[in-house]
Amino acid sequence: MLRLTGISKSFLQRGIVLDNLNLEVGEGDSIAITGPSGSGKTTLMNIIGLLDRPDSGDIVFRDKSILGYSAGDSAIYRNLNIGFVFQDHLLMPYLTVKENIMLPLFAQKITDDEYSVKEVFAEMLMSKTGIDSLKDKYPFHISGGEAQRVSLVRALINKPSVLLADEPTGSLDAANASLLGDILVQMNKDMGISLLVTTHSLELASKLKLHLKLENGKLKP
Amino acid sequence: MKQNLLTSAVRSIRYSVKDSVYQVIIVALLSAIITGSLFTGYSVRSSLRKTSAEKLGMTDIIVSSGLRYFDASLSRRIEAATGEKAVSLLESDGYSQNFKSGSSVLNIKIYGVGKDFFAFNDNDTISVKPGFVAVNSKLATRLGIFQGDEIIVHLRQVDPIPSNAPFATSKISNGSRVMKVGRILNSSESGNFSTGVNQVIPMNIFMNTRDFEESDIKASKANRILIRNIAKRSLTEFQKIISGLLKPSDIGLSLRRSQKTGEAEMISDRIFIDSEIVSEVEKIVPTVAPVITYLANSLTINGKSAPYSFVAALPQSLLPDLSDGGIIINRWLADDIGGKPGDTLTLKWFDTGFNNLLKEKSMQFIVRKIIENDSKWCDPSLMPDFPGISGSTTCSGWDAGIPIIIDRIRKKDEAYWNDFRGTPKAYISYNTGKEIWGNNFGPATSLRFPPYMQVDQIAEKLRGSFNVAKSGFTVSDARLSSEKAADESVDFSTLFLGLGLFIIISCLILLVLSIGMFFDSRKKQVKTLYYLGFRNSYIRLQLFIESALLSFSGALTGAFAGYLINRIIITELNSVWSGAVQTNTLSPDFSFIPILIGFPVTLLIASMVILIMLRTFLKRLSEPETGASGVPSAGKNLFFLILAGAASVLTLVLSSIFERHSMILAFTGGSFLFAALILMLRFYYLKRVKVNDSDHLSLKSLVDKYFSFHPGQAITPAILIAAGIFAVIITGANKRVIGPKDMLESGGTGGYLLFAETALPVRTNLNSIEGKLEMGLDEPEFNDLIIEQAPRLSGDDASCLNLNHVSAPPLLGIDQEHFIERGSFSFASKIKSYSGKNPWNMLAASTNNNTIYGIADQSVLEWGLKLKTGDTLKYKSESGRELNIVICAGLKPSLFQGYLLIGKKNLEKNFPSIAGGSIFLIDGKPERLQEYKETLTERLSGYGCSVIDSGEKLASFFSVTNTYLDVFTILGIFGIVLGVAGLGFVLLRNFNRRKNEFALMLASGFSLQKIRSIILRDNAIILVWGAVTGLLSALAATLPSLKSGNAMPWGSLALLITALVATGTIALFLALSNIKSRSLVTNLRIE
Repeated sequence: MLRLTGISKSFLQRGIVLDNLNLEVGEGDSIAITGPSGSGKTTLMNIIGLLDRPDSGDIVFRDKSILGYSAGDSAIYRNLNIGFVFQDHLLMPYLTVKENIMLPLFAQKITDDEYSVKEVFAEMLMSKTGIDSLKDKYPFHISGGEAQRVSLVRALINKPSVLLADEPTGSLDAANASLLGDILVQMNKDMGISLLVTTHSLELASKLKLHLKLENGKLKP
Repeated sequence: MKQNLLTSAVRSIRYSVKDSVYQVIIVALLSAIITGSLFTGYSVRSSLRKTSAEKLGMTDIIVSSGLRYFDASLSRRIEAATGEKAVSLLESDGYSQNFKSGSSVLNIKIYGVGKDFFAFNDNDTISVKPGFVAVNSKLATRLGIFQGDEIIVHLRQVDPIPSNAPFATSKISNGSRVMKVGRILNSSESGNFSTGVNQVIPMNIFMNTRDFEESDIKASKANRILIRNIAKRSLTEFQKIISGLLKPSDIGLSLRRSQKTGEAEMISDRIFIDSEIVSEVEKIVPTVAPVITYLANSLTINGKSAPYSFVAALPQSLLPDLSDGGIIINRWLADDIGGKPGDTLTLKWFDTGFNNLLKEKSMQFIVRKIIENDSKWCDPSLMPDFPGISGSTTCSGWDAGIPIIIDRIRKKDEAYWNDFRGTPKAYISYNTGKEIWGNNFGPATSLRFPPYMQVDQIAEKLRGSFNVAKSGFTVSDARLSSEKAADESVDFSTLFLGLGLFIIISCLILLVLSIGMFFDSRKKQVKTLYYLGFRNSYIRLQLFIESALLSFSGALTGAFAGYLINRIIITELNSVWSGAVQTNTLSPDFSFIPILIGFPVTLLIASMVILIMLRTFLKRLSEPETGASGVPSAGKNLFFLILAGAASVLTLVLSSIFERHSMILAFTGGSFLFAALILMLRFYYLKRVKVNDSDHLSLKSLVDKYFSFHPGQAITPAILIAAGIFAVIITGANKRVIGPKDMLESGGTGGYLLFAETALPVRTNLNSIEGKLEMGLDEPEFNDLIIEQAPRLSGDDASCLNLNHVSAPPLLGIDQEHFIERGSFSFASKIKSYSGKNPWNMLAASTNNNTIYGIADQSVLEWGLKLKTGDTLKYKSESGRELNIVICAGLKPSLFQGYLLIGKKNLEKNFPSIAGGSIFLIDGKPERLQEYKETLTERLSGYGCSVIDSGEKLASFFSVTNTYLDVFTILGIFGIVLGVAGLGFVLLRNFNRRKNEFALMLASGFSLQKIRSIILRDNAIILVWGAVTGLLSALAATLPSLKSGNAMPWGSLALLITALVATGTIALFLALSNIKSRSLVTNLRIE
């Protein structure tokens, strides 16, 4: 489904971060990527999400090279196919939990019927992740673990093909980190979404099917 | 290197130059405006001082005899006594015409000077030969003349005998002559010489003193002495010196001996001797006897009359048999009309008033005695030296200034004149004579000394005994007065600080925003310092030093840039804004004083803002984020919105009902509308806090929610924009134009159609049948013509057209009865103690001899004279008596701006030499206005007359206010533009605060374009709403002004809207251009 071939990326101050990197992600895969700080994990995620461009190489998504996408096409690609979860939940403080979850729907045009279907879907996801009682609360009323679950539901609202989670448990305590890890795995199983997680947590990495290490700009088993 | 606070601050600034530069620019702008305003004030005052110094030349002290004349040799004696250079000159008002083109220029000063005048001013090579004139460049330009051209000079009659004095000749009191222009003088050649206090360059003609001879005054006469004061003597010293030098002849008094009685007598070349002089002489020679001799129209006993006879009023010391009610007649008269002791004699005479108003009066006396024709009392020298009578060979040839009915003069009367000349035919007591014939010019026609006193002895005794003031002289320190007038002139520093208020406010708002942004950029550093255990005071000091260093460099740069602002303002004041200063001679002077004030003041303001912002910033950092409970209540907002809306509708409706209070009601209504519209915007955001489940969510509703949590961020720029537009429109709508209300009796024109001014006074009473006949205004179409004639005493213009502080404005004598009758003009204030209905009545009142009441325009009182009702202005009467004028009322803006109005009778009494009216208010049938205008211009052309519509005259006074309003509008627009630029700052700050949100949106599939369009839409709403709020509320507030004819400044408004849209758009796009995907992506990750 998603194939990265010969991806290289370097920065002026950091030098070569990704060096002729190759990665193939199939439907329903769950891959954990670990590596030291500054090894290029986030850069890799950003390149997959088309938030950043590689210096060389190619990315093929569903048999189409996507690196030539315009800014608009990139946005549509992200909105419909990619779900992002970050270390910080990045919830809008002035929107309720439900409003935060529904926000990505408005990146593209949406009809009333489509919205109603998504509302039901959102209810279901909230229920599954145990945050259905929080839907009218604001971010500053909920805990960090709950907020991160909200950000996960927000990432899933458009039923993406790939969920990119960049250090999703980095700001959580052990219990919440474990719970979120379980939910991620569960979603991967239930919804068939491909899961690509960067983490320092070996516990989380161990819950996924494949564990790769990013070292010297290359992914190694 | 060891770190300290200062080096840390400098390094921190160097690291974040971009965040720092905004603050430097804004503080520099603030400093430039403050310092620029101070520079302007300094430049204007300095220019006024320079102009005054240039006008005065080398003159330090001026000795003036006002409307009178003295012996010009007095200056030589002063020079000898003081060792200071002194020069006499003659000053007269007049007007001039180009001989070829006929074009004329009114209100010029004509100086009779000798070579010594120019030498006095260190221009030894300049002189004006007889038959030639020198004119200054301004007048030459106005007349369009060059050296060698001819001009006609019309000047006020320079005659010791005031033309309205009893028995003054009826000849035209104004002279004119054709003169050749010998020289055109520039300012360094004393061309702009003036003793007045005004920044406007005068128009001057300098004539040789000999050329004044033609107007019946000897060349040796003068009315001004200019003195240098190198030894820095005080005024008192000068007064003492001059008093010691004064001889009777200096003030037109002469001594002669009566051939008949051998008595010495003092007479005046003004005919009547001032009461002050009489009192002074009586003090020195107690035995002196005052005499008053008058021309009687008839002396009648039992129906038999003798016409045109002189009657002398003598004290008992001269004629012991005289008592009040009694009359002694000479044998000739007794024989002529058959009089004998015990008979009743009716004496008739003309009482002369202003504008040749003659009223025949009569009084009955009992004949006490008959004296022989050769008795000592039958003295021909008792008749004053009436210029139209004394030299006449026949009675019928008299020019006595009164109508002489030739038919009444008999052969025997001519014979009497031939035999006895002006020997009085009858004698009454001095007390009675003084009562019926004493007048504003004096109570005596001669002073008789005891026979034992010799003329030389009397002259010696009187030498140095005349008090300068009581002799009618004023000694003033002209240099000090002009410097004081300049120093106390309109304060342009404060004025431009006020006019630039919007720029200053905008700068302060921008400063708050830029400092806020600067602190935001330091957030992480500050948190780190907290975590590292630095004390709050250390962190506060470091941030303060950083900001203060930026402010310091901005304030210093701006202080010097203020001089450039000053140059721009002065250039504008000399050109497009010259309506405010009435001159183009201001120069942008440099001084360190404005910098030494502007720089620390700006730094202080900036430091205060920094400290306040710093406190808030640090407080906010240490507080947890506020929750939804901190969001203001939409319900409460709605309540106030409805309240403001209802109040607005109510007051606007009331303003259309109560026309008298429509302005204030409409302004209140507009202000409520302003509040309502701002509350409406606030409500728009607040109601989005809660979105119901049942509501269909939309992107718009979600992004609007940001402002629902931070309504202040939306309404602050909206208020700023709206307030700016509101103020600019209100200011513009206040520009005064003449409306129908001004043309009413109660308005500024007093209901008069025309306003006329003559350079030379018009003696003729233009309302009398004789006057109308004389001026050719006796045709039927002029039957409805009413002309108010006001005599004027020259002074320094106190209107807003004069920037200097004036202490002696020109006086206008007003016949208040006509104004009371017509209900002319309205009052803005009146003295508290006055309980009557109409303050005009007070002009007739006087508390004692030296105190009278005066009225002036309220604006003149406040700005020109810096007085209020109840205050007193001190003048010197013509005879040198103290004259206190108590301000009893202030007029609403009127045609009289610049003048101090007093009762006409009081003016005549205190300044009897003013011979005629110079200011005219004209009324009649409106449809004949043009005809009146043309006819009066033509008929009064000999007086240098300008006739204009009264509305036009009134409007000329509005030019200053309107120019200031223009300046305020232009600077206001600039301020608003800066304010809108502040919107860009708000955006940048919001963007910095919301970077994470936008980054998340980017990651969620929102395109950068979409994110930008969301932000653009939000802020465009604020911009448009602000503009609409300002526009609508201002239009509502100014509705009555617009209805009453005040012109809306559509041009400025269009400029404002264009500038607003352009700046807003640029600010928005510049702010949006900062939103780039790369900078957003870096925010997605916590490093």
